[in-house]
Amino acid sequence: MNQTTETLINATINGKAISAPEYLSVIQALWHAGYPRIKSVGCLEGVCGTCRVLVRRQNSQNITTELGCQVLIEEGMQVNFLAFPTPAQQHYKLEDIRNSWEVQNNFHTIFPEAENCRHCGGCNTTCPKGINVEKGVILAAKGRFREAGDLFTECVLCDLCQSACPENIAPNHVGIFSRRVTAHLHTRPSNLINRLERLRKGELKVVI
Amino acid sequence: MENVLNQVLLHKNSRVGADYILWKNSWGGQGLKNAMERPADIVSMIRDAGLLGLGGSGFPTHIKWQAIADQTNTEKYLICNGNEDEPGTFKDRVLLEETPFQVIEGATIAALACGINNVVFYINPNLKTCHEVMQSALAKWLASEIYHNALQQGLNLKYTIVASSGHYIAGEETAAIESVEGKFPFPRGKEPRPTSSGVNGHPTLINNIETLCNVPHILRNGVQWYRDLGIGEANGTKIYCLSGDVLSPGVYELPMGTPLTELIFNYGQGMLVGKELKAVFTGGPSNTILTEKDLDVNLDFKSVSERRSALGTGAMIVVSRGTGIVKRVAQYVDFFAAESCGQCPACKTGTYYMSQLLGEIDTGKGSKADLDSLVDLCKILPGGGRCHLLDGAVKVVDSSLYHFLDEYKESLNDDLN
Amino acid sequence: MTNNISYQEALANYKAVAERPLPEVNYEGLLEKYHPDYFKDACVQLKIGPNKGDICHIQLAEMLQADARIDEADLAGAQVIETDILIIGGGGAGCAAALTAAETGARVLIATKLRLGDSNTVMAEGGVQVSIEKDDTPQQHYDDTLRSADRSVDKTLVAEMVMSAPDVIRWLIQQGMQFDLDEYGDLLTRKAGGTTAPRVVYFRDYTGLEMMRVLKEAVRSSEIEVLDYVPTVELLSDEDGHCTGAVLSSLEDNRYKLVKAKSVIIATGGIGRLHLNGFPTSNHFGATGDGLVLAYRLGAKLRDLDSFQYHPSGLAYPQHLSGTLITEGVRSAGAYLLNAQGERFVDELQSRDKVAAAIMRECAEGRGVDAGNGIKGIWIDTPGLELKNPGIFNARFPKLIKIGKKSSIDPRKQPLLIYPTLHYQNGGVIINKHGQTNIPGLYCVGEVSGGIHGRNRLMGNSLLEIISFGRRAGIHAAKYSPRKPFRKVTIEHLSRLRRELMLADMPMDPKGPILFPAYAKFETDSDYSGLHKNIKSK
Repeated sequence: MNQTTETLINATINGKAISAPEYLSVIQALWHAGYPRIKSVGCLEGVCGTCRVLVRRQNSQNITTELGCQVLIEEGMQVNFLAFPTPAQQHYKLEDIRNSWEVQNNFHTIFPEAENCRHCGGCNTTCPKGINVEKGVILAAKGRFREAGDLFTECVLCDLCQSACPENIAPNHVGIFSRRVTAHLHTRPSNLINRLERLRKGELKVVI
Repeated sequence: MENVLNQVLLHKNSRVGADYILWKNSWGGQGLKNAMERPADIVSMIRDAGLLGLGGSGFPTHIKWQAIADQTNTEKYLICNGNEDEPGTFKDRVLLEETPFQVIEGATIAALACGINNVVFYINPNLKTCHEVMQSALAKWLASEIYHNALQQGLNLKYTIVASSGHYIAGEETAAIESVEGKFPFPRGKEPRPTSSGVNGHPTLINNIETLCNVPHILRNGVQWYRDLGIGEANGTKIYCLSGDVLSPGVYELPMGTPLTELIFNYGQGMLVGKELKAVFTGGPSNTILTEKDLDVNLDFKSVSERRSALGTGAMIVVSRGTGIVKRVAQYVDFFAAESCGQCPACKTGTYYMSQLLGEIDTGKGSKADLDSLVDLCKILPGGGRCHLLDGAVKVVDSSLYHFLDEYKESLNDDLN
Repeated sequence: MTNNISYQEALANYKAVAERPLPEVNYEGLLEKYHPDYFKDACVQLKIGPNKGDICHIQLAEMLQADARIDEADLAGAQVIETDILIIGGGGAGCAAALTAAETGARVLIATKLRLGDSNTVMAEGGVQVSIEKDDTPQQHYDDTLRSADRSVDKTLVAEMVMSAPDVIRWLIQQGMQFDLDEYGDLLTRKAGGTTAPRVVYFRDYTGLEMMRVLKEAVRSSEIEVLDYVPTVELLSDEDGHCTGAVLSSLEDNRYKLVKAKSVIIATGGIGRLHLNGFPTSNHFGATGDGLVLAYRLGAKLRDLDSFQYHPSGLAYPQHLSGTLITEGVRSAGAYLLNAQGERFVDELQSRDKVAAAIMRECAEGRGVDAGNGIKGIWIDTPGLELKNPGIFNARFPKLIKIGKKSSIDPRKQPLLIYPTLHYQNGGVIINKHGQTNIPGLYCVGEVSGGIHGRNRLMGNSLLEIISFGRRAGIHAAKYSPRKPFRKVTIEHLSRLRRELMLADMPMDPKGPILFPAYAKFETDSDYSGLHKNIKSK
């Protein structure tokens, strides 16, 4: 076997001193050191948004918000898992939006805080996916839902922007609303519609 | 016993409201008159008097003044900071409402000393009476004999009254500058310092209202008089805001360095019936906790800091036995979480998460892991924001964990441990 | 042990070339020799329960024949909740069932082990199969599914599923899901391994993420009640053995909750986190097969318990991303698989089981890449694909570019090392076209159910299945009314289980379901001390 020597890294995770090989994520490092971790663990691939962490690197004043499964352990790193619950949200039904003229007014009823954006940029800084969240909120507030939604292509609903917003806007939900309303009102693929019509007429059957 | 209560700032001669005649006939204008005679000596007088920033920093006032005076710019600003918004602090309100001429004269002398030509009275919009009184007083000031004499001797000043945004954070120095420029009060980074580049890029001096109020009296009575007012090594007086479970809460101007026990049990007339002292939150919640062991502490910046605490604004919130420390701290951290401006995720998300953890623990739903996480955050977060709001929030949590860890542990859910 | 070729040497052997001819490949005996389903000692006969005597993977058998986590005594004083429909699992299938049932006005409660949306759905990348192209038909979709299954399937289920596929897509669009469209607004399709027509619709390589966040948002903004962090530890039954609810264990307060329901829909997903045969997995942290265990104990019959899908392209290196999936979309877009000598060795669009087995053969016979620390694999030729189709990664596989950044390897310039990863449970609980099991009041949908995929699942059929059957179960469960709703809720069926276990001379110490993989140390975590059951055995 081609055995390479492992370098052990020392870090602090939720106040516990951890030594682990450098190729481990902070979640894996915690497990590796024998500590339990149940909450704040999800897909382990960076798409479910569960494993939010605060990270402070050695000799740095800067504190970042990241996804624990995507952060490799570094010497002197301090990590704290942010296991806060998903806050209560807005209630709405897409079916209640009758046509595209009404979306903007509906939007401001569902997200009354969105127009209060104070442009602090905290949502952008906190986003572990590097999304231009603030621009998305502003676009949505102006009714540019397609453009707003496109910015949120990589959003994993980790809620970090929500925790970072001083105006209590739920920017990630603004983003997903924008995406949903765009598909709901505008995605009308002819190949799908043709196929649905042929099925409705009974032209297509499956012989078992 | 000699009367040491309300000798200067809150003396009846100072508390004349917007009545210019009363001010003139008591001790109004004497400080400015002396200042006009030897403007070059003002900064050194302030230095020798040992005047400190009374908005909470305790920073020597003359250092800032000298830095501004050294700037050769033609445009300079003074922001008289009356944004006061911390729970437990209510001294600037009294000064603005009851001693507006003392404020104006102090600001005028500061401007004179530093070559400042724009004076901004920056006042919390929720303090409506303060705005009204200051407007009325300023109008009278501009028409006054004292002011006209100064004009003739070459004083060149523009005064404005500006309503701050009302956010707590708007009291932070650089946030105040943004606010005066008409923007949202986002604190700026550490550099450049306001003394070199503040309002619209001009050198800007920012002093707390209480600090400025001392200035006319130092000029009027001299350095030694001011130094003798204090107890021990401390100088001058301090306005303490006493609140909580005491019989007589209120503002008390006392010699700087008055012992805590004097303030609570003599001036505050002791605890409410049946209550026993448990702790004192000093300087408003962005500072720390003193306990009954600290009753003998002299309330000056240096002595209080030796007790792992800080004097801050001089607010003393007295808490009695039976009051949940965790609940109190949770309320304070909620305040910070709501007031964080949003620029720094470490601050906004950090305080948000601390408030969630404190809420869980206070309501008996917290686990050991939640407490560990809270302790850990107190280590990670400090210094993570561009201003001191985050540090303030951490301080109050950290201090309560230091003094009352057992109470936190008792609040945890037994089923989870 | 065979020595493979070192990472550096293999990289030196590699050259990006746009077109490479397919070599002669011998598929004879490939599966039998190299596919883990055929490993000697991998399977045993079940000794108890409705599938007694059937072949089952040894690790799954241990779970199915474990003792329950609770006794009557644990239920004393437990909070009782009433609802019409209890849905266990908050992934794509659970949300689809919940939304559909709620539309009829039924009271719906979703109980999830972790958080709503923490699931395998969110990680699915490839897409959804739906026959919409002119030269494609539901019949072809059906035929492809059967051919690739390589074993008997429930033909009715497959037929129902392929016929409903276009309506599934329409429903998803109505919920607000976006798909990649061409310049005329038509759904783009691509070909999956083992299919005869381009039939997979997708959104970048984020199809599952897009689907899950839309469904999650739809659930969260509706009247549906959601309980997070409440692993289900047992089902409830009445004297007739009908399902009448479930016992939840709350990770928030370490207490049990009883949910009385008119019907229960299990949508707990798969078993990847059991790490069968020691394989890494592409699965979510919660994929520990809880639903199979719960249903089996109540008497639900299972099928195909010896068949699992190993996805050919799990990332093998760097180590911290081990098991992470590289979507089949990359192969269907034309990327080659190359061994350490830089040569193709398999038709990349063969069915997943054959491609996976072929990769294992290369590594077993010394033509694999050795990356140290026991890591081995073969190349997926991403630079070759970029050469053939410039810009394709940025446009269609942004997630892969992100993975590249995390591992300091730009997939457009350097091939990625891959090895099969445990991906999917092909079998599961037997259901009818409404998602009903043989236990009245109990439904199973999604990966926990069986009968559609045989021995090998086609890419894009799982995202289709969860929505198609999730909706069916939601509709049917909303109409289902038990004879005696909310009356009897017991765990009587556990006495039968324990009797059987003792009669079969089986150990009573492993308790199931395990809820979390052992390395997460749930059973020793002091935060959950009230819920520990497996301390002695682990």
